[in-house]
Amino acid sequence: MTDSKYFTTTKKGEIFELKSELNNDKKEKKKEAVKKVIASMTVGKDVSALFPDVVNCMQTDNLELKKLVYLYLMNYAKSQPDMAIMAVNTFVKDLPTSQLVKDCEDPNPLIRALAVRTMGCIRVDKITEYLCEPLRKCLKDEDPYVRKTAAVCVAKLYDISSGLVEDQGFLEQLKELLSDSNPMVVANAVAALSEINESSPTGQPLVELTTNTINKLLTALNECTEWGQVFILDSLSNYTPRDEREAQSICERITPRLAHANAAVVLSAVKVLIKMMEILAGDTEFCNTLSKKLAPPLVTLLSSEPEVQYVALRNINLIVQKKPDILKHEMKVFFVKYNDPIYVKLEKLDIMIRLASQVNIAQVLSELKEYATEVDVDFVRKAVRAIGRCAIKVEPSAERCVATLLDLIQTKVNYVVQEAIVVIKDIFRKYPNKYESIISTLCENLDTLDEPEARASMVWIIGEYAERIDNADELLDSFLEGFADENAQVQLQLLTAVVKLFLKRPQHTQGLVQHVLSLATQDSDNPDLRDRGFIYWRLLSTDPAAAKEVVLAHKPLISEETDLLEPTLLDELICHISSLASVYHKPPTAFVEGRSAGIRKSLPARQGSADDATTTQEATVIPNQESLIGDLLSMDLGAPAPVVPAPAVQPASNVDLLGGGLDVLLGGPDLTGGATPSTTGLLGDIFGIPSTPAMYTPPKACWLPAEKGKGLEVYGTFSRKAGQMYMDMTFTNKAMQAMTGFAIQFNKNSFGIAPASPLSIPQLQPGQSLEYSLALSTTGPVQRMEPLTTLQVAVKNNVDVFYYACQIPMQIIFTEDGTLDKRVFLTTWRDIPSANEVQYTINDVKGTTDSISNKMTLNNIFTIAKRNVEGQDMLYQSLKLTNNIWVLLELKLQPGVSTATLSLKSRSVEVAPYVFQAYDSIVKS
Amino acid sequence: MGVLFSYFKSLIGTREMRILILGLDGAGKTTILYRLQVGEVVTTIPTIGFNVEQVTYKNLKFQVWDLGGQTSIRPYWRCYYSNTDAIIYVVDSADKERIGISKDELVPMLREEELADAILVVLANKQDIPGCMSLKEVHQALGLDALKNRTFQIFKTSAIKGEGLDNAMEWLANALKNRK
Repeated sequence: MTDSKYFTTTKKGEIFELKSELNNDKKEKKKEAVKKVIASMTVGKDVSALFPDVVNCMQTDNLELKKLVYLYLMNYAKSQPDMAIMAVNTFVKDLPTSQLVKDCEDPNPLIRALAVRTMGCIRVDKITEYLCEPLRKCLKDEDPYVRKTAAVCVAKLYDISSGLVEDQGFLEQLKELLSDSNPMVVANAVAALSEINESSPTGQPLVELTTNTINKLLTALNECTEWGQVFILDSLSNYTPRDEREAQSICERITPRLAHANAAVVLSAVKVLIKMMEILAGDTEFCNTLSKKLAPPLVTLLSSEPEVQYVALRNINLIVQKKPDILKHEMKVFFVKYNDPIYVKLEKLDIMIRLASQVNIAQVLSELKEYATEVDVDFVRKAVRAIGRCAIKVEPSAERCVATLLDLIQTKVNYVVQEAIVVIKDIFRKYPNKYESIISTLCENLDTLDEPEARASMVWIIGEYAERIDNADELLDSFLEGFADENAQVQLQLLTAVVKLFLKRPQHTQGLVQHVLSLATQDSDNPDLRDRGFIYWRLLSTDPAAAKEVVLAHKPLISEETDLLEPTLLDELICHISSLASVYHKPPTAFVEGRSAGIRKSLPARQGSADDATTTQEATVIPNQESLIGDLLSMDLGAPAPVVPAPAVQPASNVDLLGGGLDVLLGGPDLTGGATPSTTGLLGDIFGIPSTPAMYTPPKACWLPAEKGKGLEVYGTFSRKAGQMYMDMTFTNKAMQAMTGFAIQFNKNSFGIAPASPLSIPQLQPGQSLEYSLALSTTGPVQRMEPLTTLQVAVKNNVDVFYYACQIPMQIIFTEDGTLDKRVFLTTWRDIPSANEVQYTINDVKGTTDSISNKMTLNNIFTIAKRNVEGQDMLYQSLKLTNNIWVLLELKLQPGVSTATLSLKSRSVEVAPYVFQAYDSIVKS
Repeated sequence: MGVLFSYFKSLIGTREMRILILGLDGAGKTTILYRLQVGEVVTTIPTIGFNVEQVTYKNLKFQVWDLGGQTSIRPYWRCYYSNTDAIIYVVDSADKERIGISKDELVPMLREEELADAILVVLANKQDIPGCMSLKEVHQALGLDALKNRTFQIFKTSAIKGEGLDNAMEWLANALKNRK
C-alpha cells in the first residue's frame, strides 16, 4: 500500500453516508436516503456525486420514490450528461413501448407523464434517438395529461436536435394534436409549435397554421385554462388571415376574452385584436366598435395591484402610440393617485402626455400643475417637463402651458424653476417670436440655477435673444467668471451665446468675445470646445458676414414628438404585447441571450384585397436550397412595400430549357400583347414613352454569333422603361434561307425573370435584320445562379434550338419604389450588422455630385439624404430589387477627385458585386 | 454443525445477493435475465442503461442487475461494482471477432478492488448457433487460465433454448452459500 490511499476515497462525510444508505437493501431506508439527497439538493449542496447511486434507485414500483428520483435527474442530468444515459432504459420501461415485458408499461398515467417529462429534461445528444419511439407513443397516449406533456417534450427535443424532430415526423404529430379533443392538449401543442417556429433556423415558420387549425384553436380557446388561452392567443397573433372576413370572424370570437379576469389573457387578446385590425380596413364600422371594445378592459387592468398596473401601462404606452384613438376618452384613468408607486406614476405621466389633445388639455394641465407641487422631486421634475411637452404637442394650448410654467417659476422652488427653464427653451424653439416676453421673468431666476442642463438652457436663451435683453452682456459676463468650473455643456453654450451676442451687438462686446475665445481655445482641454472656439474665431476673423449667416442661421423647428418609438420598432413591439419585450420596449433579440435573430415579427401589411396579399408574398419568397436564402428572407423593413404589378402573364410552361420543351411554346403563337416587333431602333416612340433622359442601358453585346447560330445572329441588351423590363435584341439572318418559327425561353434564374409574352417574329428573310424588344416579368421560377446575374436563354427557330448565356445588368431589376424614409433608412442601416457591409471604389468618376445623383435616380437608385462632411459629399442612397431585397448605400464623392468610395449594406450582401458593377456603369455612362 | 447453521441461514437469511450480468452488447444479457426471472424468452431491445429484477432461485433471493453492453455504457459498469456478490459474464460464443474485446473488458474489471471477493460465472452463450466456439475455446480466448484467487466457473448456455442456465445457477447458489 502506498500513500496514495489517503487521496483515493472519502470514506467519511455526508456524501459517503448517503451513498451507503442509498445502497441499502431496505426500501424504506432507500427512500429516506433519496429524500435526504433531494433535501440537500434543494438547499444548494452539490450531491451530483451520488448520481449513479440515485439512478440505481429509479427502477421501483414506489410512486413516491420514483418522483423523487426523477426530480433529482432533472436537476443533475445537465451536469452529468454521460451518466444520464443510464436512466434511459427506465424511461423506456415506464413508457408504453417496451416489448420487453408486457406489464412493464406503467398503467399509471402520472408515471408515464412524469417519465416523458423527465426524459425531455435530459439534454444529451446521444440519447435523443432512444427517446423518439417512447415519445411517439406518448403523443398518441390515451390519457390527455400524457399527450400534453409529450407535446411540450417535442419542443424540448427540437431544441436539442431539430433535424431529428423534422425527420421523425413529430411536427406532423404535433399538428394533429391541434385537433385534439382535450383543450389542454391543444393549448400545449400550440405552445410547443410556436416555440419551435420561433427557433426555426431558417427564419421561416416550420409549421404554418391553416384556416382549419385556426378554427379548432378558436373552439378550444373557450374551454381551456387561462394559461392555455394565453398560449392559443399568442399563436393566433402570429397568424395572418387570408382575407378580411376571416380576420373579422377571428376578432369576433376573441372579443369575449377581453372580459377575462386574468390580465395575461386580456393583454394577449388585445394583441391579437390590434394585429387583426391592421389587416381590416381602418375606418369601417367594425373596426370602430372594436376600438371601443378595447378601451374598457385596458382600463380595468389599471385597477389591479401596482406591479400588474405597471406592466399594463407599459403595454398601453405602446398601444397609445400605435392607435391613439382607442384610449382618447380615458384620460382620467391615467391621472396619478397619491399612493401610486413612483414607477407607476412616471409611466402614467408619459401616457397622459401622449393622450393630451386640445379637447382635454385643460384637465391635463391642471393635473400636471398639481403634480408639480408634490414632494417627490423626480416626479415633480417629470411633471414640469410634461407641461412643456404638452405645449409643444398641442399647439393651440401652448399659451396656457406657458402660463402654467410661469406660475410654477413664481413658486421659486429651485428644481421646479430649473426644469421649467429647460422646457421653455424647447418651447422657444418650437414657437419662435411668440413668448419672448417671459424672458425677463426667467432672467430674474438666474442665480438659482445650479444644474448644467438648466444653466445651458438659460445661456442659450440669453444668446438667442441677446438683442432683446438689455443687459445680456452683463449676464453672460457673470457666467464667464466661473467658466473653467462649468460643465462642458454649459461652456459650449456660453461660447456660442457670446458669439451670437457679438454678432448682434458688436459695439461693446468685442472684449467679451475675445475673452471667451481665448478661454475656449487656450485654457480648455476639451477638444469639442477648442474646435468650436477655433471655428468661431476663424469665421469671425475672415468674414463676419458669413459668420452671421452660419451662427445666426434660421433654425428648423423642433419636431413635435421626439420621444416616439421608431415605427418599425413600434410595429415589432406591438407583436410582442404582453411579453417582456413590451415592458422593456426593446425587441427580444436585444435582451434574450442566445436567441437567433431568425424571425422578427412585424405587423402585416394593410391589405386592400386578398389578391394583393398573394402577389406580395409570391414576390417576396425566393425558394432556394442555399442557406444564404435565410439572410435574404430575414430582411425586415416593417411592411413589405407593394410590388410593382408585373403583367401577370405566366410563361406557358415551366419546362426546363434542357428538357427541350420548347415545342410547348409553339402551340400558341397568338400575341398576348406586351411585346411588339419593331424594325426601328426608336423603341421609345413605339411604346409612347416621352423622350425623357432614359435609364442607362448597356450597349448591345453579341449573344449568339452567326457561326454558332447556324446563320442566326443575336445581339442584345437589357433595359427598363416605365417600370417594365425589356430584353432588346437584334436578330440578323445571315443564312441563305428564311427563318421562321421563332420562340424563346429562359432557364430558371436568380430573380425569376421570364418572358412576359412569347416571341413573335413571323419570318426573317435572308440578310434581314430585326430589332425586337421582349417584355420581361419577374414571376418566373427562381433558382440561384452562379454568378447571380446569369440568365440562360434558349432561342428556337425552324433550323435548331440555340442556347446562350447572358448577364443581366443589375440596374434593370432596381424597382421604382426603392426610396426609403430617412428615419427608416437610418434604423435599417443601424440594424444591419457591420459584417454585411462591403466597400468599393469607383474610378474615373466624372460630373458633379448632383449630376451623379440625378443619373442614379434615373436608374432607380434613390438619394435619401445628402451631406457635406469635410469637403466630401456623402450621398445616402437606397434601392430595391424586384425580389424585395433592399440595398442601402453610402457614396462618398470629393469634388475634383475622380475616385469615389461606396459602402454598401444589405441583408443579402451577395448582391453587392453586381450592384457595384451597376454603379460603375451608371457613373461612367 | 456448519451444515445446520447454513441451513438456518438460508431460511432466515433475507439479505439479497447482488449479482451483475455483464458482457458485450448483444451477448444475451437481458434475455438471460428474463429467462431467469419469468422463465421464458422475451423479445429485447438494446439496453441503454440497466434492468434490475428480483430473482429467487432455491430459496436464495438475487437482485440481478443487467447493465447495457454498448461501448458508450461500459465505462459506467464500475458505478455498480460495490457490494457485488457475483458477476455473470456473458460471452457470445458465435462472435469470434469480438472475443478479444470481451477479454479486454473482463480482465481489468477483475482487477478492481471492489470486485475482489465477487464470484465469477462465465456463460459461453449462444451455443445453439452452429459453428460457435466451444467451451474450451472460450475459456482460452478469455485467458481464464491466468485467473488466481477467484472462485469461478464457465458454463455453456443457450438462453434461447434455456439450456445450461440451471446448471450455472445451481453452481452459483452453492458457491454463494459456501462462501458464508
